[in-house]
Amino acid sequence: MVRWARDLSWKAALVGGAGTGLTALIIRLIGVGAASSLSMAHIGLMASGGAVVAFGIFYPLATAADRVFSNILKRLISNDNDNGAALLSATPAWLRSATTEFENALADRMQMERDISVALKESEIRQHVAEASRGHLESVLHSLRDAVVVTDGFNEIVLANESASELFGLNGPSALNGKVEDVIPEQQIVQMIQSMRDSGNVAARRSFEHEINDRNDDRILEVSLSCIPDQSQSGGGVVTILHDVTHERQVSEMKTDIVSKTSHELRTPLSLIKAYIEMLIDGEAQDEESKIEFYHIIQTEAERLERTINNMLNISRIEAGITHGEWDECDVKGVINDVVELSTPRAQEKKIAITHKQSQLCTVAEADRDMIQQVIMNLVSNAIKYSPEGGRITLTTGSSDCDRSILVTVADTGLGIPPDAIPKLFDKFYRIKNYDRVAHGTGLGLNLVKQIVERIHGGEIGVESELGMGSKFWFTIPCKRAA
Amino acid sequence: MTAETGTKKSTILIIDDEKHIVHVVSLKLRNAGYEVISAGDGEEGYEMACDQQPDLIITDHQMPYMTGLEMCHELKKNEETSHIPILMLTARGYALSEEDLKNANILQSISKPFSPRELLDSVKGSLAA
Repeated sequence: MVRWARDLSWKAALVGGAGTGLTALIIRLIGVGAASSLSMAHIGLMASGGAVVAFGIFYPLATAADRVFSNILKRLISNDNDNGAALLSATPAWLRSATTEFENALADRMQMERDISVALKESEIRQHVAEASRGHLESVLHSLRDAVVVTDGFNEIVLANESASELFGLNGPSALNGKVEDVIPEQQIVQMIQSMRDSGNVAARRSFEHEINDRNDDRILEVSLSCIPDQSQSGGGVVTILHDVTHERQVSEMKTDIVSKTSHELRTPLSLIKAYIEMLIDGEAQDEESKIEFYHIIQTEAERLERTINNMLNISRIEAGITHGEWDECDVKGVINDVVELSTPRAQEKKIAITHKQSQLCTVAEADRDMIQQVIMNLVSNAIKYSPEGGRITLTTGSSDCDRSILVTVADTGLGIPPDAIPKLFDKFYRIKNYDRVAHGTGLGLNLVKQIVERIHGGEIGVESELGMGSKFWFTIPCKRAA
Repeated sequence: MTAETGTKKSTILIIDDEKHIVHVVSLKLRNAGYEVISAGDGEEGYEMACDQQPDLIITDHQMPYMTGLEMCHELKKNEETSHIPILMLTARGYALSEEDLKNANILQSISKPFSPRELLDSVKGSLAA
């Protein structure tokens, strides 16, 4: 019987698989049966039933069944062990009770499984949300114009956004986990990251300015560093944010430069007016001729001051969109004739010949006549200023853009323009250095011309020149005003 | 204070690319008894200072080729000209710092618009110092 029971135990264990609790129960049951007078039929029934249950519900239910049968066994043991078999056979309600208890346990177990399944799904959802959140944060980091570099406690790069990769020329994922000193070529930044990590002070933030000198692209960076709290064995890391302030600095310098140049252009004629008036008051003009000379200089400088202020205001108005022009039909040939007539006396002082090669084409455009006259006058005035004695100035009209625009050119035999000056020629206050010895100017005239042609009339302006060989300025204006 | 040191008139070099500034300052100083020489830009001014060894230089700041400040630095570097006192006229919107002035050997910076009368007082003060 014992041998049979051992076989049965082995089979139950085999069928039950992981249901070791159930197998233990059977063995314990056999032990009890061997010691008592438990019938073979009951034992066989128990063992077979256990094996079937184990087979049906596998491991998850095995422990539940284990608990149920343990209870039954305990109950049997706690009762009269000697009469256990009799108890079993004499009380069929026991089986019903056991079945009910088993069913309840099974229901509990299934509920537990459902709860676990729900918990698993919730966990999966939380994981998805966390992944989405991380992805979102990474997208935000990568979209930042500021470069962001995160290093860990070993000074290894754990995150570098796209701006950082671009700034330091990092090669994608290979830069990650690299030592900061191997990846970032800027020694000062590396030292500050290492020093920040060594300090471990999460409350402190350090900022400094760093200049990256590149052959073609110098940059000024505002670098700020802060420590990440220590959350690992490697110790706290460092977040480094690099804000490129190159453009801000350039704008700031440009503003300072414009203020300085404006000041110079206004103060110089004002200086002369004030000085000559004081000289007259102090009787420093010793004869009538000197007095007339002083009056003439005062008048010239007052006109210069007025011209500068007007140019500045006109440019400012056009840029602000306040000036829109007085639109009418304007014959550009007629405007050129007027300019030639007005400029001839000044040109004759230097024996410069002004020629207008009149076009046979229609040169009527919808334009602000006064403004177009100001443009041509300015170009001719420059040509006179920077042409040597005996030079030539030639004005032409033509058409461009399949007769939809009128083309005007002003060519001279003057000094010409250095190639490096051409891109800046129409900038506010730009002056070609060498030209200052030849004639004075505010550096506003050509900027105003450009604003009138391009902003007001929707045309184009440009210059072709060779140093020492003269210059040819050209502009176009559409025949019809854009709707 | 007179315009003469011993038997020799003090010589003042005026450097400005604005010919009327040169004219009005020269006239004021000549009328006060000084010898006046002039240059139209920083380069020319530097060469003239080296050649003529004036007693005082009055220079504009913003000039082509070599600014007034650059020229002053060059003059300070040169042993032959480092002793010459300099007055600087400037029409820029900001004054030069004390350090800039000291580093360039400039005694005083005078903002445009200036008074010829006050400039003459500064010249006298500088030559007496």
